[in-house]
Amino acid sequence: MPFAWKAAGLTYNKYLSVAARVVRRSLKEDKRLIAERRGEMDLKFSKWNNGKQGESKSLAEANSASMAEAGSQSSS
Amino acid sequence: MLSRAARPALRAGAAAAARAPVQNAATFATLREIEDRLKSIRNIEKITNTMKIVASTKLTRAQRAMTESRSYGQTSNAVFEHAETKPVEGENKKTLIVVASSDKGLCGGIHSGLSKAVRRMLAEKPDADIVVLGEKCKAQLARSSGKNIVLSFAGVGKDIPTFADAQAIADQIVLLPTDYADIQIIYNKFINAQSYEATPIEAFSEEAIVNSPNFSAFEFDEEVLSNLREYALANSLYWALAEGHACEQSARRNAMDNASKNAGDMINKYQILFNRTRQAVITGELVEIITGAAASEE
Repeated sequence: MPFAWKAAGLTYNKYLSVAARVVRRSLKEDKRLIAERRGEMDLKFSKWNNGKQGESKSLAEANSASMAEAGSQSSS
Repeated sequence: MLSRAARPALRAGAAAAARAPVQNAATFATLREIEDRLKSIRNIEKITNTMKIVASTKLTRAQRAMTESRSYGQTSNAVFEHAETKPVEGENKKTLIVVASSDKGLCGGIHSGLSKAVRRMLAEKPDADIVVLGEKCKAQLARSSGKNIVLSFAGVGKDIPTFADAQAIADQIVLLPTDYADIQIIYNKFINAQSYEATPIEAFSEEAIVNSPNFSAFEFDEEVLSNLREYALANSLYWALAEGHACEQSARRNAMDNASKNAGDMINKYQILFNRTRQAVITGELVEIITGAAASEE
């Protein structure tokens, strides 16, 4: 049984975080504000090559870019 | 002559340092220097005290997050304990070391403790790759073993780490091109408020999970295995980040507490020194006046 989200290039963690975001957004206003703080992610990362630090990029953007790429590869 | 000469001496006694003798430049400078240092130490004490209070408030929240995150990590590791999973023994399989530190300093030696633990592991496995979470350990490890670093993350530890953080990091680690035999997450284990220990958590590769001796106890579809592995990695990362964060806050509280105490000691010491010097200046002045008066009377 292939998973639809796997075919679209998402990882299990991404799938979970999307599901969690949907649940958080459907909460009532007061609870939602507290819950949405738990879903924030603002990390930066950089790849290292041979002892040199590469350019630092936003983690969220890089993750979605690589997943979009994986999705287009598997669908074609 | 006597009455005119005696007046400044009386005033000097009352107004103390404000009326220090101008003719004796050396004593004047030291008195002024001590006063300046006293002032700056007092300012530092104020700052460290405030930081201590901030860290104390954050510590309670961080500790609660740590206890909660522990159950995540332990529950997800229970599967591997029952399955008796062990890392794959292989010659050309690489190990990945994930270091869970943070961006901020001023918290004693917890970051260098992590770096030392990583260096010890590197001595055993010189070809292991490193992923660094947080700026502090990155700076330390880049100097000694920059060639081993493959990824570094910044922005860790501003606030209590969220599960979303751990998931995003786990995704990026999974996307790494190399196939790792096992992943070791090094974090600071919270033993009590005074002591922490750099401890590794294992996160296994799919191969290791399949080969675990008691694997048949669980029913698995082949497809969900990679999901389990990714999810377990995120769980372990979350645990390591939250516990590391609690350790950092507690270490910062201790460090700032010590700094405030030291500043208090120094303030006392300098206050006494200041008073003594002031007294010495006044006495010297008096002696000069009296001898001068005695000489002019004859």
